[in-house]
Amino acid sequence: MSGGILDIGHLDVTFSTETGDVPAVCDISLSVRPGETLALVGESGSGKSTVALAAMGLLPGTARTSGRVTINGTDVVNASEAELARLRGRTASMVFQEPATALDPLTRVGRQIAEVVRNHRPVSAREAAREAVELLRRVGIPDPERRASAFPFQLSGGQRQRVVIAMAIANSPDLLIADEPTTALDVTVQAEILDLLRGLAADSGTGVLLVTHNMGVVADFADRVAVMLRGEIVETGPVEDVLLRPAHEYTRRLLAAVPRLVVTEPGEVRAPVEAGTAVVELRDVTVDFGRGPRGVRALQDVSLTVGAGETVGLVGESGSGKSTAARVALGLVPPASGSVALFGTDLGRTRGRARRALLSGVGVVLQDPVASLDPRMSVAECVAEPLRVHRRGMTAAQRRARITEVLELVRLPEELMHRGPRELSGGQRQRVSLARALVLQPRLLVADEPTSALDVSVQRTVLEVIAELQAELGFACLFVSHDLAVVQEFAGRVVVMRAGRVEEQGPTMSTLLRPETDYTRRLIAAVPVPDPVLQRQRRAALGAGA
Amino acid sequence: METVLFLARRLLQALAVVLIVTVVVFCLLHALPGGPARGILGPQATAEQIAAFNHEQGLDRSLPVQYVYYLGNLLQGDLGTSFTLNEGVSRLIEQRLPKTLVLTVLSALVGLLLAVPLGMWQAVRRNKPADYAITTLNFIAYSTPVYFLGLVLILLFTQTLRWFPSQAPQGDTVAQVLADPAALVLPVVTGAASMVAVFSRYMRSATLENLSEDYVRTARAGGARQRAILFRHVFRNSLTPVVAMLGYYVPVLFGGALVVEQLFNYPGMGLLFWSAAQSSDYPVLLGCVLVISVATVVGSLLADVVQRIVDPRVKVGRA
Repeated sequence: MSGGILDIGHLDVTFSTETGDVPAVCDISLSVRPGETLALVGESGSGKSTVALAAMGLLPGTARTSGRVTINGTDVVNASEAELARLRGRTASMVFQEPATALDPLTRVGRQIAEVVRNHRPVSAREAAREAVELLRRVGIPDPERRASAFPFQLSGGQRQRVVIAMAIANSPDLLIADEPTTALDVTVQAEILDLLRGLAADSGTGVLLVTHNMGVVADFADRVAVMLRGEIVETGPVEDVLLRPAHEYTRRLLAAVPRLVVTEPGEVRAPVEAGTAVVELRDVTVDFGRGPRGVRALQDVSLTVGAGETVGLVGESGSGKSTAARVALGLVPPASGSVALFGTDLGRTRGRARRALLSGVGVVLQDPVASLDPRMSVAECVAEPLRVHRRGMTAAQRRARITEVLELVRLPEELMHRGPRELSGGQRQRVSLARALVLQPRLLVADEPTSALDVSVQRTVLEVIAELQAELGFACLFVSHDLAVVQEFAGRVVVMRAGRVEEQGPTMSTLLRPETDYTRRLIAAVPVPDPVLQRQRRAALGAGA
Repeated sequence: METVLFLARRLLQALAVVLIVTVVVFCLLHALPGGPARGILGPQATAEQIAAFNHEQGLDRSLPVQYVYYLGNLLQGDLGTSFTLNEGVSRLIEQRLPKTLVLTVLSALVGLLLAVPLGMWQAVRRNKPADYAITTLNFIAYSTPVYFLGLVLILLFTQTLRWFPSQAPQGDTVAQVLADPAALVLPVVTGAASMVAVFSRYMRSATLENLSEDYVRTARAGGARQRAILFRHVFRNSLTPVVAMLGYYVPVLFGGALVVEQLFNYPGMGLLFWSAAQSSDYPVLLGCVLVISVATVVGSLLADVVQRIVDPRVKVGRA
């Protein structure tokens, strides 16, 4: 294949580490033609980001590259730093995953954009500054004259990503490489950024290499798809073929694991579990962080109930207060007003031993499986900790028996018991968290984005384990997630939050298919579905409606 | 407005810190055995004479009362009178402080001007021979006691090479001191050595940390060359933590001055402090400690202010 803006042929990348060489990419060939978007998909560790960095010559010094990478005919693999610098930001540029850290925190954004302009064109500082304002306008930053002199921390995540995009298009590149450009953003912001990228690419005939794990984004944006598995491309083809008629076994499995938001006809409706008495009840809860003019109202008159045995999904964008509400239910954040009842007892009026006993009936699983386990404790110790705190009378032998039992429940092999969390995979770690949450046989499980940091196939297993255990043990679950598709699959009822308030709530299927508020409608419309044909229809409908 | 509030609050905090320091030092001094009377009146003094001296100086009153008296006088700008030198403590400090300031400020400046580029260069040449060589030199400079380093320098440069005089400038005013730069070289170098060692380490690790930040990759992806990345982005970002450390380094600098002044016969605060400690000259000791604590507090305040100027995020983070 040749004639593309980006041509990669038989690319191998190996990282040398202290424990030896680790191959990251093996014999990859692909090409991106002008005006075309090629999506490179795969799970974490599949090497997709390595390919993106290799294309820009941005791999770290520990990487060894062989094979052919050319951008508009220029050899990238054997280029000198000076040659690469001439290429980067002009012929090819890049948008990164994490807008929070992608910009220099101490330099005003206008200046950072102007710098890219002046890296490649001999214009005056004043002219570059004017162009920066123009670019900010093009990427849809309101009031660009003023925003040009803002520092990155003064902008929202979506705006920062727009700035990064402005830098990327400053010199009208022929190739744009976008490495998970919307992964760190809310769905509504993601939809805006994807629209922006699509518009820019269409206007200028720029070729796009889109690296992502999100099949919805692929369906929304890509013309062709290449699927990566363990450093190799297993399948390439037009987006309709790969997503709707996958040829390779792995692609099929990957797509099967993707939770799909049902947006058209009511699918198989999961009958809401008959909710028993409330295990947790928040009534008119208001929470303030800080006082005075700097104070932030995190929750405003939030009321929600989780009945025995039922699963309630708590959804909303970042900053909507969903995690705060979960923390209130856990007794970690005291409400400024309103009340919290746990198993029928007012948590605010309970102190000391009684409070500890009450809270021992709640298990918790948090988002980050790395940060929520003590790296110096073995799996067994992590799981034993709640027993040591709440079941003082237990003998060591009883404890050991209980740990074995719980690890079996979450389907973790017993031989992992004495490993440290660092020696486990992400999914295994999250199952350790789950085992720790369940070891006291809680009546309520609070799960705050338990699968957001995991790959889809791993997410699938963890969700299955939770669902099975819930059926078996009968605990209720407060399930916090930003992923509407996961919530739709998993929760019987859903509570939609927005800016610290409950926007609407009801049975999941009816709420997500026939939302009552505009906000929920917009939230659902912003979720790209992993079906290119359907997604195109939705977008067209959205465009017509707007 | 925000900045004014911030300054006001920090100044109040600073005042409280200085006050607490005086209390602690006051207690510590009076817990020392012996007391000043014996030293001043000589070994022949009788018990009556000592009692009379103590009464005269108010040393026979209870500690809190003494402290309140001291504080009262302090508020009126009276630091007391030296037992041994028969001169007002404020007058002594007035004479000595500028000279010490010249020495410490010059040492700090020279130290920083060497340490910052050195640290950055090391970061760029990480794990190459140059990096190792400088790291080794740094460890030697840091672990060599100041007095020993000073002696070696004196031996080498005044005896063997005869490049510089072995005494610091002996003038009484700042202008006179600065008029003799050759004589300043050795004291300043001695004072700056450990500073170079410490701050180039900070700078090296801050630079390394910043070089692996995402924004450096963004800049590189925009076509920025290594030099531009270093000087336009990494330099400022790495400097902020180093500036923050500077405030805390003030007492170390004063401590260094104590030895350097002694070695190079330079009558500044260090020498004053040293002789006062030898003779239990309480008013002078207290005065010196007061000056050092004020300098420390002012140093960290300045570091905060500079950080607020360099790093726009600090304004939001705390007030």
